[in-house]
Amino acid sequence: MSIQNRDSFLQNVANHLGRPRKTEQVERSSFTVAPQWEVFKDHTQDELADELEAHCKVIHTTCKRTTVSELPHVLWETVKGYDGKSVIASDDKRNDAFGVTSFYKELEEQGVEFQLWNPSDGHYNMEFAERADVGITFSDITLAESGTVTLFNNSGNGRAISLLPRTYIAIIPKSTLVPRMTQAAKHIHDANQDGHPVSSCVSFITGPSNSADIEMNLIVGVHGPVEVTYIIVE
Amino acid sequence: MPIKLGEASYKERIQSGIENDFMRGAVSSAQGRFRSGRLKAAEELGNWEDWRTRGEEIRTHTLENIDFYLQQLSDEVSKRGGKVFFAETAEEANEYINNVVKEKEAKKVVKSKSMVTEEIGLNEALEEAGSEVIETDLGEWILQMDEDPPSHIVTPALHKNKEQIRETFASKKGYKNSDMPEELATFAREQLRKEFLSADVGITGCNFAVTESGAITFVTNEGNARLVTSLPDTQISVMGMERLAPTWEDMEVLVSLLTRAAVGQKLTSYVTAITGTRLEDEVDGPEEYHLVIVDNGRSKILGTEFQSALHCIRCAACINVCPVYRHVGGHSYNSVYPGPIGAVLTPLLDGYDDHKELPYASTLCAACTDACPVKIPLHEQLIRHREIIVEREKKSPKSEQMMMEGFAQWASHPAAYKLSARMARTSLKPWTKDEIIKNGPGPLKGWTDVRDFPAPSKQSFRSWFKSRQKKERGQ
Amino acid sequence: MKVSLFITCLCDIISSDVGKDTVEVLEKLGCEVDFPEQQTCCGQPAYNSGYLSKSKEAMKQMMKAFKDSEYVVGPSGSCVAMLHEYPQIFKGDPDWEEEANKLAAKSYEFTQFIVDVLGRVDVGSNFKGIVTYHSSCHMTRLLGVKDAPKKLLEQVEGIQLRELPLCEDCCGFGGTFAVKNPEISEQMVKEKTEHIMETEAEYVIGGDMGCLMNIGGKLSRDNRDVKVMHISQVLNS
Repeated sequence: MSIQNRDSFLQNVANHLGRPRKTEQVERSSFTVAPQWEVFKDHTQDELADELEAHCKVIHTTCKRTTVSELPHVLWETVKGYDGKSVIASDDKRNDAFGVTSFYKELEEQGVEFQLWNPSDGHYNMEFAERADVGITFSDITLAESGTVTLFNNSGNGRAISLLPRTYIAIIPKSTLVPRMTQAAKHIHDANQDGHPVSSCVSFITGPSNSADIEMNLIVGVHGPVEVTYIIVE
Repeated sequence: MPIKLGEASYKERIQSGIENDFMRGAVSSAQGRFRSGRLKAAEELGNWEDWRTRGEEIRTHTLENIDFYLQQLSDEVSKRGGKVFFAETAEEANEYINNVVKEKEAKKVVKSKSMVTEEIGLNEALEEAGSEVIETDLGEWILQMDEDPPSHIVTPALHKNKEQIRETFASKKGYKNSDMPEELATFAREQLRKEFLSADVGITGCNFAVTESGAITFVTNEGNARLVTSLPDTQISVMGMERLAPTWEDMEVLVSLLTRAAVGQKLTSYVTAITGTRLEDEVDGPEEYHLVIVDNGRSKILGTEFQSALHCIRCAACINVCPVYRHVGGHSYNSVYPGPIGAVLTPLLDGYDDHKELPYASTLCAACTDACPVKIPLHEQLIRHREIIVEREKKSPKSEQMMMEGFAQWASHPAAYKLSARMARTSLKPWTKDEIIKNGPGPLKGWTDVRDFPAPSKQSFRSWFKSRQKKERGQ
Repeated sequence: MKVSLFITCLCDIISSDVGKDTVEVLEKLGCEVDFPEQQTCCGQPAYNSGYLSKSKEAMKQMMKAFKDSEYVVGPSGSCVAMLHEYPQIFKGDPDWEEEANKLAAKSYEFTQFIVDVLGRVDVGSNFKGIVTYHSSCHMTRLLGVKDAPKKLLEQVEGIQLRELPLCEDCCGFGGTFAVKNPEISEQMVKEKTEHIMETEAEYVIGGDMGCLMNIGGKLSRDNRDVKVMHISQVLNS
């Protein structure tokens, strides 16, 4: 009983369309235009990084550029700048390669309360995230046009890390940069076609949360993080 | 509340809208900002018309094959552990959701902004059954406390000012600070965090459902939809049956159109796509997931000349350019869906009886049609509505019917037309002074209540042309 | 070039001067202008009010009247846009479909005709004064005539053109809307005339007598010292 009332519902729909119900994959004629592929079409990774950095000003996001070797230092400066006394981060397979694992150890040694997202801690992860000052994750695909980091949330990268803490830091390997959402969507589509199930939550995050619900005044920081920093890593 | 908001008559609503100075100022400045944002975003893209074409092509194909795509969507959601319920009516949808809430013995339900749940009156149904429902979108939260309906589909509390909001917070929640928007928002953040953490069930709407993989997408700025879908163990998404995008690539185009057309953003702060339940080793996200697909009158629109109204992606671009909306505000439409798209959709979903004035609340200036990112011919659909009201429902005023009968005779008989051209000036003479009519008779009255009407020319054009020809021939 | 004038009922009866200026400008540009006397109204008042079958009576009369014309030119974007709707309206009607297509294909708005068909932007006119231009909705959005009037006005000697804020916003006329929804219409024309006053122009110019009658009526009611002129009147100066 995981699908209810479907047949009568869809039959009624087909009746209104004046034809038999369609149950087989439908044919699609090709589109007459594809403007989405034109954006930043021939940009290099460096040019994409420039576009991203420029757009960060529009989305109230701090953008920093660094190298792998300098990353721990830049992270430390950012956490300090956010007055970070507690930090939660994703358990990402890139943590070692980017020297982030040792940085997290260093954090704890400096007296910062730290939690690496860990499924075996269950609900504690969320409780920690809720009172944390800083959440840190990697970006899986980065959209230059809109200044967006894409997260494929999974057991090591809980949805709450980029959502509940007061501030959020996204580490952006330069190789994750693509022109816009088009490329990310195609990647997900292709993976799905190849039999790789889509992550239970895909988060496209563009700067801090905001609202214009009170007299159209832009308020930065409503339910999600109030401040966001992107760190682009060469 | 259902689609219809209240019992006040059309004329009363219009009048109270026009007299609401704050609302009109707020709407006017919001429209200004939305408009420039949308135009700037379109300009930055450069090939906006191609984008619109792409959007229209996606929506047309989807609606033409909606039965297949709904089947695919429900299969995919089911594969990922979700339960799918097809609801033909608002009552069926509400009953199903109430049952889920009851089964979970849930006391508190948190919601993110959703027009379809407004349309089916879900909050009232849940509250009647004894649940506490909390709207978590800042604008919706404000309105919920005031028991006020939304007046705009993107910024629902557009008609309220910050002082009113401060008073609401103070009287309902003991707020003690100023009416600075930042302070008000910080207070809302603190209050609502508690609600999110203690809620048993989360309910969302759906911007686009990606049918190829069963992902339900939310386009938001505040982040409340992410909280609603991350924290409670049970989650229910409610969607109008037409909110479909066959593939991720289609969804991406529609989201790009939506955020640009709505607020001029390249993307909103959050675009979140959730698929079914959380996976086995994940700790946040729902362990139980329900998708409720609502018809509630939509299928009746399929196969008619109004089918493209279902292409709507709820961006409110038509509302933001509409000069009528600017002067009367959202509540004057007496519908969950205001503005041009509301004037088209409301009679389709809820019948003409209560909404027959809406298709006439437009000058047919076509600013809406021009702004629509998926090219719905809104002003033409308003004319189709008028045709139905006149010719099928026979609900137009008798006096107008007689006038139009006269018009047809006049315009199809050149002799009668010529005679009237000759007589116009003389017949209006009693009301004419200094070539101006200030107090016109009959149908002219509505006109001259507001502005002057010019006296008809001393000599009609056709008689001038004729005498000129004669003169030329004589020479 | 032979041109049949589509005078529009409003210009025929209420503002015949506009028709005269239209004829004279076209003649000045070398057109031979005739006036098919069987023409009446394009049918828009009935069509836009939902009286489809009644409006068709008028439309058929228009198709008959202009059957033999080479070009049909009218001093109103709105009325010409109505003619362009005929093919849609008579689609599938064996008696009228072809006529509808023919009429739509040969119909032009006055400024559109001068710029696009005659290929002229300077018609040799001379007009002293500060003016602002209201771009009517149907002309710009339904007919797609956006630039032609401005191109023509820019070439008028002595003219001082000022941008009208929110120029493309509707003035609140909307045909029967002005009578059916006078309260809303009033607010709209009020806003429009306020924007006109902001420009401090002496004249407001437009290409549609419906809008101009509405705007002019409001300016006159408020005793504003701004004159309303159809673009043909400026071009014939």
